[in-house]
Amino acid sequence: MDPKGGLCANNCRRSSSLTAPGNGLQTNLSSDPPSFYGIGIESHFNEFDPPSPPIQSVLPGQSDTDIEIPDQENCPLSDSSNTSKLQDWNPSAMLNNLSFLEEKIHQLRDLVHLIVNKKCQPIGQPHELVTQEQQLITADLTSIIVQLISTAGSLLPSVRHTLTNTNPLVSQIDQLHGINLPFGPEPSSGIRPQNNSANKLFDKSTQNDLPNTCEMEQNYNMEEHEPKDEEDVDEGENLPPGSYEILQLEKEEILAPHTHFCTICGKGFKRDANLRMHMRGHGDEYKTPAALAKPHKETGSEPKLIKRYSCPYSGCKRNKDHKKFQPLKTILCVKNHYKRTHCDKSYTCSRCNTKKFSVMADLKTHEKHCGKDKWLCSCGTTFSRKDKLFGHIALFQGHTPAIPLDDTKGVTELPDPQNREISNKVGSVNFCFGSKPSSENLVPNMMDMKGNIDDPMNYFSSLNFEGCNFGAFNEFPQTPFEDAEGSFSFLMSGSFKFGGGESSSGNLQ
Amino acid sequence: MEPPNFFDLLGKDLLHAILDHLRDDPFAPKFFSQVCKSFHDLESTHRITLKPRRLDFLARAPQRYPSIIHLDLTLCPCVDDLALKALSLAWCSSLRSVDLSRSRLFSHVGLSALALNCTRLVELDLSNRPDLTDVAAKAVAEAVNLERLRLGRCKGITDLGIGCIAVRCGKLRHVGLRWCIRVTDYGAGLIAMKCKEIRSLDLSYMPITEKCLQQILQLEHLEDLILEHCLGIEDDGLATLQANCKSMKMLNLSKCRIGRVGIASLTNVAQNLEKLILSSSLVVTPVVAKCLQRFSRLQLVKLDGCLGTKSGLKAIGNSCTSLKELNLSKCVGVTDENLSFLVKTNKDLEKLDITCCRMITRESISSLTNSCLRITSLRMESCSLINREGFLFIGRCQLLEELDVTDTEIDDIGLCSISRCTKLSSLKLGICLTITDNGLKHIANSCSKLRHLDLYRSSRITDEGIVAIALGCPSLKVVNIAYNCNITDSSLAFLSKCQRLRTLEIRGCPHISPQGLSNIVAGCKHLEILDIKKCRKINDTGMVQLAQHSLNLKQIKLSYCSVTDVGLIALASISCLQYISIFHVEGLTSNGLVAFLLACQNLTKAKLHACFESLIPQQILKYMEARGCVLVWREKTSEASGYLPFGHFGPLAPASHMQEVNHM
Repeated sequence: MDPKGGLCANNCRRSSSLTAPGNGLQTNLSSDPPSFYGIGIESHFNEFDPPSPPIQSVLPGQSDTDIEIPDQENCPLSDSSNTSKLQDWNPSAMLNNLSFLEEKIHQLRDLVHLIVNKKCQPIGQPHELVTQEQQLITADLTSIIVQLISTAGSLLPSVRHTLTNTNPLVSQIDQLHGINLPFGPEPSSGIRPQNNSANKLFDKSTQNDLPNTCEMEQNYNMEEHEPKDEEDVDEGENLPPGSYEILQLEKEEILAPHTHFCTICGKGFKRDANLRMHMRGHGDEYKTPAALAKPHKETGSEPKLIKRYSCPYSGCKRNKDHKKFQPLKTILCVKNHYKRTHCDKSYTCSRCNTKKFSVMADLKTHEKHCGKDKWLCSCGTTFSRKDKLFGHIALFQGHTPAIPLDDTKGVTELPDPQNREISNKVGSVNFCFGSKPSSENLVPNMMDMKGNIDDPMNYFSSLNFEGCNFGAFNEFPQTPFEDAEGSFSFLMSGSFKFGGGESSSGNLQ
Repeated sequence: MEPPNFFDLLGKDLLHAILDHLRDDPFAPKFFSQVCKSFHDLESTHRITLKPRRLDFLARAPQRYPSIIHLDLTLCPCVDDLALKALSLAWCSSLRSVDLSRSRLFSHVGLSALALNCTRLVELDLSNRPDLTDVAAKAVAEAVNLERLRLGRCKGITDLGIGCIAVRCGKLRHVGLRWCIRVTDYGAGLIAMKCKEIRSLDLSYMPITEKCLQQILQLEHLEDLILEHCLGIEDDGLATLQANCKSMKMLNLSKCRIGRVGIASLTNVAQNLEKLILSSSLVVTPVVAKCLQRFSRLQLVKLDGCLGTKSGLKAIGNSCTSLKELNLSKCVGVTDENLSFLVKTNKDLEKLDITCCRMITRESISSLTNSCLRITSLRMESCSLINREGFLFIGRCQLLEELDVTDTEIDDIGLCSISRCTKLSSLKLGICLTITDNGLKHIANSCSKLRHLDLYRSSRITDEGIVAIALGCPSLKVVNIAYNCNITDSSLAFLSKCQRLRTLEIRGCPHISPQGLSNIVAGCKHLEILDIKKCRKINDTGMVQLAQHSLNLKQIKLSYCSVTDVGLIALASISCLQYISIFHVEGLTSNGLVAFLLACQNLTKAKLHACFESLIPQQILKYMEARGCVLVWREKTSEASGYLPFGHFGPLAPASHMQEVNHM
């Protein structure tokens, strides 16, 4: 028999094994799209007998579906173990996976070769066979992608934090879908029709999934705007050197107000999506879905390196030459970091005329609350809420509430100068202060007080107060989602999702 | 040659012991110091408490008394910052306790001087200063060794001020914040968090909720917690409490809106409670009563003013068996059945208050006197269904010390039975219209320890009875014979033998003349409170006598007396006089009034007829205000006659009247 035919038969057998009931993923992808997002999934997962073996222990010789699906789907069933497993990055398992992937890609290439060769032959083949072949290729491609994702997924912290933890099942699937979207149109033209249908499937699912995506955006925002500065969020990331690509934007690039310019009129935009929207006004050719869709970068079949950013300021901890270099995650992080750390604070609060900021968003957040900080501690810290002040006082030994100064009018000097020494620093500070005949309003007085303090300790504590407030500001989402959107390579899966959400919203318009 | 001074031979320790015994009588130490020079010096150095009557004395006091520890300035309303500063410097090393609850003129400046100079200060009373603000609280906070602090009615102090005190005064043990209505959960919670030594805490009338209770109940040593009228504390909040305050012994939830759930949750929080005060707070149902069962050490329960179901009150008898004190005053639902059951199960009962329990009859008294032989206090005012036989049982309670039978059917035979209670110290017989002198004579013959006698409107009493009482009960401190028109000067002549008399009410006794008054004031040197309203015969002569003898007089009410400017101005020489009430005194002019107000240096409150307000110059009014004297102007119409038909006065009139005087 023709050895190629034998190969084909062999592949056919393999493909049939792929579509066997045990392969829930594949079945769903091709025949039953809604259940892919529904409960139907779980019933399929239940059919995997031993859910326990994690990906690391699976040998490459085994069937591909058996490898990744347990990893993808069973782990979320046990949530806590999931995170811990993912966090344990095992390089040898990774190596196994990669070599297995390589082998599979080779197989697939052979298969496609086979088909191409067959097409060269003039004998017309039954149509069904062609379709079957295409399905086979799609299935294999999909499994490769899934494998890739799961391999990479063990490394991605945000996948761990936001997606898997909040809504494990759905988010995992979103991951799949998000990955698939860019890969969809990629394979060779020979299987175009099938792929188109698959693409539609994903488009549909994208729309269906929109609320879910939004939810994840919120998650993203929450993570991004945790009390700690976002620059610090990735402190614990511990990406092994070389596992990510370091990009360093120049100062001018960072500070440039617009990064996307219209090739026709020259108008600048902060975001590419806005530019594309703008382009519609320049003619119908820019209104096609293809033009409006987010342009996809050339993504080969090899895994893409994660992108991390370096601050151009030499000597900065965020600069790649620093000994303890800590990369920045997104371009937004770079921009905010650079402005906050290395630029003048050019935005002054118009209310208090004291606080200065280098990031406009910080100023806006401050202005929302400026003047409301009426609760003062003796250490100089101000609070916008009484309970925060009392929480602070309960926490720190010796701190007392500072009495509003309007009351201290007419305070005279103490009878005995020695007495003042008896009273502690805080008390004396306030006494000195109270003795000032000023009846100005609160905030300028607070500043006076800082100036009056001789004790360096107190001075520092009043400096801390700014830091405190920064922390407080970060409680409020200072940069809404649009900014983050610009950071196109926040994460592989993450950015794809944003892209998906964006394009679908564009479609809806 | 001068004879040797034998007093010099007495040992110092002995003399100190003698002096220590002389503290009850304000004049005794004075007389002691006048014996000889060495006694004078001894008294000066030994004296640790000082209650100056006038601020002027304070200037020289530090030289004479170098080691004052307790300084009571309640008679000096005019203590200002300078005075506080001076005294704090003078006694900086000794002073430990200062009472400024009646002083009005000092500010945070004086307080901070006091706090900083007197480093050993442990007790401070700043009550009744609604104008004090957080700055004052901050000044107080400098007294870091404070253990007792009272800030009652300091309505200007907020969480911030209390926060300062809480942080700095970590040794506080007793804190009273009653009526500090601007202090909320934050301040109260912070006190609990920072002052771990707290033993007693009064948070009455404050807008607090269970949030701060959570922290307060973590205090390891807390024994007394007073939460009167804290309307923010409710069942739902109490139910969330997660605490176990084993040390708590007394809990006062009067006038709080709580119910079964709250009580049930408290049984988990404070198992060792001994005293539970629930006045006017909840409905006593069997379920509530059952909750009380879990307080195994409960000794005192106050349910006055509560609505009680009959079965609920009875159930208390089941759940509490070791009560020593029970207050069911004005508690609706008290019947013979449940009260009898209650007293049978609580045989150790010592104090029982069944005021205004109008459904009970002699049956209850019978069972009470059968089972509770240890009873020392029985208040049964207005128990109007108890007939005269009911009172015959009371004589069984030989340990009785306090008895209130105001407005009841008690008669002379009842009094005769009561006279078997030889330990009786307080007897209230107001509005007992059937008792006569004969009954009083029984009391006078056997109750020689009587200190408090109330005969308000017991209108069949005459001089004969009062004379017998005055002779038989020499320890009398408080006597009320108001509105007894048969009383004449001879009663007063004999009452003057009661040298310890502090309070005398002879209001509405028209036959009393200046002679009678002068007898009293000559004999009773300690007289502090005098009510001669509607004693129309009393004139300037009486006032002059009063001014001459009653050096301790604090309060006087002389409306409707025949006093003129002269008499009033004479009164101004009484240095202790703090309160005066003058209405419808016809001989009084505005000039006389002004002269009196200016001359009476220590006056803190005067109730005057509104017709004078416009006649007194504004400067004088301002001056009085600055001096710390409150002038209350009232529009009162004159009553044509002093004898209003009985019935215009509620049965509670005597009690409330006395309270008003005492808690001015």
